[in-house]
Amino acid sequence: MPKRRKQRRIIDTDIHERVTYSDLLPYLDNPWRRYIEDNHWVQEKHMPYTQPTVAGVDRADAVTPDGGAAGTDLGFMQKQLLDAEGHEYGILSGALDPSPSSMHGWYEMATALASAYNDWQIENWLEKDSRLYGSVHIAAQEPQQAVREIERVGSHPKMVQILLPIDTRSWGDPYYHPIYEAAERHNLSIGMHHNEPPTHFGGWPRYFIEWHTMLPTAHMIQVSNMVFNGVFDKFPGLHLIMIEGGFTHVPHLMKKMDQQYKELRHEIPWVKRMPSRIIQEHVRFTTQPVEELSQKEFMQFVDQMGSEDMICFATDYPHWDYDSPLEALPKLDEALEEKIYSENARAAYPKLPQPAGSVK
Amino acid sequence: MREVVCEKEDIHPGKMRSATLGKIPIVVCRTKDGEFYAFANRCLHQGAPLSEGILCGDTKRTDIHGNYEYIKDGEILRCPWHALEYDIKNDGVMLAEPDKKLRSFQVAIEDDQVVVYK
Ligand code: FES
Repeated sequence: MPKRRKQRRIIDTDIHERVTYSDLLPYLDNPWRRYIEDNHWVQEKHMPYTQPTVAGVDRADAVTPDGGAAGTDLGFMQKQLLDAEGHEYGILSGALDPSPSSMHGWYEMATALASAYNDWQIENWLEKDSRLYGSVHIAAQEPQQAVREIERVGSHPKMVQILLPIDTRSWGDPYYHPIYEAAERHNLSIGMHHNEPPTHFGGWPRYFIEWHTMLPTAHMIQVSNMVFNGVFDKFPGLHLIMIEGGFTHVPHLMKKMDQQYKELRHEIPWVKRMPSRIIQEHVRFTTQPVEELSQKEFMQFVDQMGSEDMICFATDYPHWDYDSPLEALPKLDEALEEKIYSENARAAYPKLPQPAGSVK
Repeated sequence: MREVVCEKEDIHPGKMRSATLGKIPIVVCRTKDGEFYAFANRCLHQGAPLSEGILCGDTKRTDIHGNYEYIKDGEILRCPWHALEYDIKNDGVMLAEPDKKLRSFQVAIEDDQVVVYK
């Protein structure tokens, strides 16, 4: 048998629980419920590709024992992921996309769906497994409504982040600032998980392989937009977690932004420090989908980031591009592994419990 | 080492099943033309159990952009996670990186039983 790495403490920053419309119905009032029940409304699906993998977007072996869609069964997920791999905590990042591109103009329905989703998530996942922590879903196309939803569920002890949908308006825009204010108020991090479509220009690329390769570009756009628009200067307590874009693009982004800052900073006088410093302090990047890296290659990226605190481990269970905690990363030194597999995430989500005996 | 996996008819053409050879987890595949092949049941990438994947075909290499031709139906073992593909009739070679291949085992049919040897 090939050697397997010993199990370690894992805080998994990207686990997808999945809802079905029938699960959501009890959490929806009319008229919203009726559009699904009587009018057979379904959210428009955008991805124009036939996923060229074994079971669509999912791991083929994550189909539930009764043949249900991957991610719909807490018990099976506990067995296949949390128990098997020794998770200390997992952050749920959902599968609902109430972004304008998914909902067209029907923002009212998006708002109702996000609320129903949050209630369903709390009742069926967060309150049933002490290891699971959740994400507040919002319809960000209505910032005032989104803030209301954050006020409604954001203080739940197991909600640790707000998932902000990606769309045509970038995240540095003052339009979103009330959401950041609410995040700070409730000690919630902002999570970016790529939604669809992440490409700003030219629409969808022709092939799935192009889209999947270029995921980090959506992340780069949002990070640069937030930093240069002064979000972290205005909200000094804000934590941003960039989920499912990997981290190998980050050294380039930091270097590029610093050089630009030296040359063009007069255009953005509200940004008062080197962009790389701001990113080091406020932004965290999850590993998945990680490239195959040798230890030497991995450490070169860490060195260029100038910090061991910025990378957090994620599996993306149960999706096809899942990364195994035992296999995906090269062997690193013990202290760095501890940071990547758990401690960096613990710091990035201030609401996660601290280890016994520690002082926050 | 020798291990009887199952009766020949237990694996239909185009199907596969997991088994063990001593302590080694293996996957036994039967191609559509009825031949048997056995490999270590562990993907070379991140170790997924290959027996949870599928036996499918490949698209033929071409010089013409947009041209699709489906070949080797049932001869490609595709991983259940990141979908890496192995050519079971060609020694378990990984299609994307032909210098890598699965560990393979010899299979014989003896008295209508599928027997795997190391
Ligand atoms: S584990 Fe098989 S393709 Fe990744």
